[in-house]
Amino acid sequence: MKKLIKNPHLHFIFLGLLLMIVPKLAEMGLFKVSYVTTLGGTFILAIAALGLNILLGFSGLVSLGTAGFMGLAAYLSAYFTVDLGLSFELSLILAVVIPTIVGILVGLVSLKIEGIYLAIATLAVSEILRKTFEEFDFFTGGFSGKTASYPTLLGTYELDRAGMYYFVVAVLIIVMLITYNMMNGRLGRALNAMRGSEAASQAMGVNLLNHRLIAFALATMYASIAGVLYVHFIKYSYPSIWTLKLSLDFLAMIVIGGLRSIYGTLLGAFIVFAVPDLFLKQIPFFSEMSYVLNGVLIILVIIFYPNGLINMFADIKRLFNKLSKGEGK
Amino acid sequence: MSTFIQVILRSLETGSIYALAALSIIIIFRTSNIVNFSQGAVGMFNTFVVTYLFNTMGINIWLAALGGIVSSILLGIVIDLVIIRHTKKVHPEAKQIITLGMMMIVLGIAPILFGVDPLRLPKMIETGNLSVLGADISYNGLFNIFFGLLVMGGLFFILQKTKIGLAVRSTASNEYTAKLMGVPTKTVTMGAWAVAGALGVISGIMTAPMTSVTLHILDDVQLNALIAVVLGGFQTFYGPVVGAYIIGVGRNLLLFYGSSVWGGQILYILILLFLVFRPHGLFGKKIVKKV
Repeated sequence: MKKLIKNPHLHFIFLGLLLMIVPKLAEMGLFKVSYVTTLGGTFILAIAALGLNILLGFSGLVSLGTAGFMGLAAYLSAYFTVDLGLSFELSLILAVVIPTIVGILVGLVSLKIEGIYLAIATLAVSEILRKTFEEFDFFTGGFSGKTASYPTLLGTYELDRAGMYYFVVAVLIIVMLITYNMMNGRLGRALNAMRGSEAASQAMGVNLLNHRLIAFALATMYASIAGVLYVHFIKYSYPSIWTLKLSLDFLAMIVIGGLRSIYGTLLGAFIVFAVPDLFLKQIPFFSEMSYVLNGVLIILVIIFYPNGLINMFADIKRLFNKLSKGEGK
Repeated sequence: MSTFIQVILRSLETGSIYALAALSIIIIFRTSNIVNFSQGAVGMFNTFVVTYLFNTMGINIWLAALGGIVSSILLGIVIDLVIIRHTKKVHPEAKQIITLGMMMIVLGIAPILFGVDPLRLPKMIETGNLSVLGADISYNGLFNIFFGLLVMGGLFFILQKTKIGLAVRSTASNEYTAKLMGVPTKTVTMGAWAVAGALGVISGIMTAPMTSVTLHILDDVQLNALIAVVLGGFQTFYGPVVGAYIIGVGRNLLLFYGSSVWGGQILYILILLFLVFRPHGLFGKKIVKKV
């Protein structure tokens, strides 16, 4: 029994079940129904941020193109389901595979070079994509944007808002589980070694370019999954959503939440996206300041709490233990 | 022929805007080892200060510009004192993210102070055209080209020929050793942030008459400046400037003779391809790491 409680995989599933209660609570009138949309959106962004966390946290590379790839997947999925009439499952696969291939091509070009080059290369790619969203009317609807509908799973289960929310939570938990396994397996160890010392990891037989490419492809893939979920959950997509600001928000999420932490990413997404929407909007002064607060939070966390806010719980626990022990004596 | 010259003259004008921004990025990179993503946002903020001084307070445009430069220098010093000085122990990647945080703060504060409406800032020299071989360029355009060159020339003179420049260059090449040799590296870094701020607001004032003063006025300039720095390489002060002029000219030529919609995007793709073959940029050298 104790083993069962300590099993990290079960923790993720418990978390998923906990999150699934939310629409039920909303139905019971405990809080507003619009919160379901906010929370679902937060989880979608957390998926993309998780990919970026693999890239930045484990391999130390910065990408500023997350929003561009996410937008590409969103438009592709909307185009496949609405204009071409493909089934949701098929368009999900296509809309994830195509941006990932684009991402791998970009990675091949820019990953040979060290450090900040990838950030600027992905920034350029993201600008090119955004221009494409604005200009290719037949595919993206231009400035007026593109709409999509709630998907029908397997041709029979038509999802509504709550249904889509359950689907998002399920995908989030699956992605978290896969990430946990990968990062505690061979890939995670190799990436960790690369971050520690490139020369040493090369000597141990880690192919730098391959592993960087895998990390970048994973980040693109997660962003694409998030893009598909976004367009079917929020149901519209404009070029102005997929800007540098969104890519920066992803960076903010993982830095505030905690690098290399899966739960930290979720916490970061909640702080950056949901807290302004759920709480700060109620207070007049803070609603304007949410962007500023995020900026201040990033700087403070980096300087004073470089491991991220997720470690706060462990630190508080340690402090608590220390205090109670002190009293015991 | 005259259209070609016209395009080239225009390109030199945008090129000098990009070059000033690129120089501002590389000065900070060389002295603080930070790629400053907030460069455009801080420049935008100070351009708003100029616009505020000119429009609301009714001050002469030249004095307003001077006021903007003063405010940018002060802001640069504040950024260094309050934030950058405390990041010595921070991991290099995390430092870039700090500048992203600074960018968010500036982007959040600017609309509260200056409102969200787009504002207008006139040219420094309102009227007058000069004809060169059948091509027209406004006096303001000429002023931008030559003032940009003058500022950059002055900075390079200071960097190469004076004692201050020697301090900056030694800080850039190895901060720790420079400190041992008695170079006041803290002051050098602070000065770099101040100068970078001033360069940012100058590029902002030059850009403003072409569009309107909004939150995103310098986004395009900053993007091109960052790509110019990559194109020119991070190892020299002059590389990014050359890169910026190449981007200015190449972009306008592609926009005019290639595709008016996709010109800029084609240029980015060409530069990405170029970097495959010369990963460290035009003037960059490969840094050999010792284990």
